[in-house]
Amino acid sequence: MAKNIRNFSIVAHIDHGKSTLADRLLEYTGALSEREMMDQVLDTMDLERERGITIKAHAVRLKYHADDGNEYIFNLIDTPGHVDFSYEVSRSLASCEGALLVVDASQGVEAQSVANAYLALENNLEIIPVINKIDLPAADPEKTKEHIEDAIGLDCSFAVLASAKEGIGTHEILEAIVNRVPPPAGDDDNPLKALIFDSWFDNYQGVIVLVRVFDGRVKQGDKIRLMAVDNVFEVSQVGIFTPKITPLHELVSGEVGYIIAGIKRIADTKIGDTVTDANNPAAEPCPGYKDIKPMVFCGLYPTASHQYENLRDALNKLRLNDASFTFEPETSLALGFGFRCGFLGLLHMEIIKERLEREFDLSLLSTAPTVVYRVTGPDMKVISVDNPALLPDQHEMIEEPFVLATIFLPQEFIGPILDLCQEKRGIQKSFAYIGKDKIKIEYELPLNEILWDFFDKLKSLSRGYASMDYEFIGFRESDLIKLSILLNGEVVDALSLIVHKEKAFYKGRELTEKLRGIIPRQMFEVIIQAAIGNKIIARENVKALRKDVIAKCYGGDITRKRKLLEKQKEGKKRMKQFGRVELPQEAFLAVLKVK
Amino acid sequence: MADFLYIHIPFCLRKCLYCDFLSVPYDASSAGHYLDALCRELELKKDKSGILRSIYIGGGTPTTLSEKHFRKLFECVRNNYVLSSDAEITVEANPGSLDRTKIDTILSFGVNRLSVGVQSFHDNELNVLGRVHSADDAQRSLALIQKSGIENFSIDLMYGIPGQDLTSWLESLAKAAEFSPMHISAYELTPEQNTPFFHLLNSNRIEMPDDDQIFTMYSFGIDYLESRGYAQYEISNFAFRDYECRHNLNYWDRGEYLGAGAGAHSFLNNMRSKNTGDIRQYIEELASGSIPVREPLRLTPEDSLRELLFLGLRKKQGIRLNKSAIFPENGVELCRELIDEGFLEIYGDSMRLTRKGVPVSNAVIVNLFGKFGL
Repeated sequence: MAKNIRNFSIVAHIDHGKSTLADRLLEYTGALSEREMMDQVLDTMDLERERGITIKAHAVRLKYHADDGNEYIFNLIDTPGHVDFSYEVSRSLASCEGALLVVDASQGVEAQSVANAYLALENNLEIIPVINKIDLPAADPEKTKEHIEDAIGLDCSFAVLASAKEGIGTHEILEAIVNRVPPPAGDDDNPLKALIFDSWFDNYQGVIVLVRVFDGRVKQGDKIRLMAVDNVFEVSQVGIFTPKITPLHELVSGEVGYIIAGIKRIADTKIGDTVTDANNPAAEPCPGYKDIKPMVFCGLYPTASHQYENLRDALNKLRLNDASFTFEPETSLALGFGFRCGFLGLLHMEIIKERLEREFDLSLLSTAPTVVYRVTGPDMKVISVDNPALLPDQHEMIEEPFVLATIFLPQEFIGPILDLCQEKRGIQKSFAYIGKDKIKIEYELPLNEILWDFFDKLKSLSRGYASMDYEFIGFRESDLIKLSILLNGEVVDALSLIVHKEKAFYKGRELTEKLRGIIPRQMFEVIIQAAIGNKIIARENVKALRKDVIAKCYGGDITRKRKLLEKQKEGKKRMKQFGRVELPQEAFLAVLKVK
Repeated sequence: MADFLYIHIPFCLRKCLYCDFLSVPYDASSAGHYLDALCRELELKKDKSGILRSIYIGGGTPTTLSEKHFRKLFECVRNNYVLSSDAEITVEANPGSLDRTKIDTILSFGVNRLSVGVQSFHDNELNVLGRVHSADDAQRSLALIQKSGIENFSIDLMYGIPGQDLTSWLESLAKAAEFSPMHISAYELTPEQNTPFFHLLNSNRIEMPDDDQIFTMYSFGIDYLESRGYAQYEISNFAFRDYECRHNLNYWDRGEYLGAGAGAHSFLNNMRSKNTGDIRQYIEELASGSIPVREPLRLTPEDSLRELLFLGLRKKQGIRLNKSAIFPENGVELCRELIDEGFLEIYGDSMRLTRKGVPVSNAVIVNLFGKFGL
């Protein structure tokens, strides 16, 4: 039985056509009728479809009648496509024996293609290169193969040429999966050992976990133990997605499917954890489990204070589906009651924020994103500081997180990109040609520096051609200080920053200038200052409002004027009162955009 | 029973570029149909239980109407309403549509106040606004009005026009003052969406003076007019003593008024409403015997307080504290901060905007809405 199973993933750089290819495979194998096909079936969240990226992993079982006359069961495990979710990607890949590496024939290898291919290699996967979009006029399959061989060291002689959009190469891909991806090993008679690679909360069923069974079998009524969290649950249902949810009698080794076991909290089902039989446990859990920790932090505050409860409820609900972000109550002098939230990365932060606003109809203010710092106090005690407002005045040492960034770019843009990395305190680690005209560089960079506008800059300096991926490499000591912003003499903690000493003056000046442009004129003058400790390093002012008057009331039309004033009042509501100064949301975003 | 009647005449020779009010090009036949409907409405609303203290015929450009139309209109009003012997009867007039005969005609029906939409005495500014008349036309019309013997007329002027500066603004004010009108309205030009003017601004083909320049024009304008004896009695209105516009003061005092004509507003029995702004609908519905009322709104106590604040504070007189039943007892306390900062002041038994508060009255009022929990 297991010899007819093929478990595989599709990995690709964003926009290289992963979801379209997945759709094509579903269509070709008849998993969905044409009528049921909607573009990008696997991306179910609105946000995923709009952004064209996959946020959560999914798994679908397909039946394929191969040229050799046998019927095969394919488990297609879709993976998140972004660096923020690389741990989830790696666990999805750990559930497979093979991977399709999809590369756009017109663009060649990009940073995420490489990062994901490496993840697949680390998990000992058989990789099948798929050169996609060969129907495009700019497609150059030969050059793309050369890229893959140079950058990843993968033999491309058996690469499949395809156009997922046009349905070219679908059959060849399916045959390659049959012939090249090894069938799963494992033994149905061993104790149960299954890897959790995804989980989500369903309002009716509770938590649903997606697993790859490596050994043993699992069915309704079994008592299972989640090894890392060390909790026992009773299985109420097992099954697969076709992509419709389809209950089965049992899941056996080699198979991919879901387990429902009356689990109430998503936090109990950590990605990478191992499911085993509570009465007859496996000796060892699946390798590679990590308790992932947030790297990027920001404060989230309701613009209207009465929405605080709603925000808390919304965060709790979102956490049912995404255990990878954290939140805890926080009080800010400027913003009132809110939450300090931790995320896997910048994109993750944006997604959570957008979902809160969109799905829960909240209006939020977010403070500047920060990284977590390790601060050694005068007593040599080490504390973690993720909020600039909380940086102690006295400290021996501040360490900040560093990443290793891998950047791919056409060679003509190398000059400005190297300047950019230098400006962001980067240390070059490698420089190599990929093919004739593409360059791969690696830089060690402070995570803090790429939180700002690094990615946008990278894109604009390379006219969109550069791509980047990064991984966390550890904490390092840096010469960092706190830059405070004062409005009419009072510190606004939500606007403060931890910055490199050499950049403090420049950043202080730029931020005060930005704020001058953003803070609307008010009924009195607003003085904006930047300070390091007690030393003022920059000053700007917003002159008092001089003119704000409705000239005329025409022909007794009172309602119109009243509506105008009510609208103005609504606008005011969106502002945050700080002392007597009113700050628009953009002021908090401005902190984000200081170079 | 309202003592104030507003009548809307939605015809103009041509629509000005900045205008987003109800007006269509004049033609005699549609004006005829409109007048029929208007008279029908006035009949349907007939009320002789009270005495009208003011009639205001606004537009559009009422002076586009012919003598026949004016006769019909005034006969209709007099047949259905009782006019006080000292009623203020205003007609809005535009220089492009005035000649000696027209003025004499209008006055012959008992009109005793003319409000003349001059806007500027500079041709380049009139062009930007898309006014149909020239500065010379305006001077000729005003001279005719002076000669006609009517004592009470008002001149409308605008500041904040693209291309205008403090000098040209003060020149326009001085020119207006030369004709010794009893009343001058000085309005800031407000670009309204969905007007050609707004699109010109958006496409950067014209540019508004900046807020500081506009503030300076407003501020110097007030000083200049007061120096010539025109007392500011409202944010945009100036008059010799006892020549304040009775009709407009009634709006700001939240008095009742009856509106007739397409798009006209009414305030009766604590209910604000307006007629349809669609002229064809207006005519059709009245032809079938019903009054085309739209958006009736019964005011809540909060609505009334909001109105009291933003209308009352437009006046120099301000809000009469002990006369107003809806001003809360702790109202002055709620205003304390703004009083201390010099935006509001207590003056006798009234509270009003200060000279510092007037130019930023919206901000002050919105702030008050917050303090009053509105």
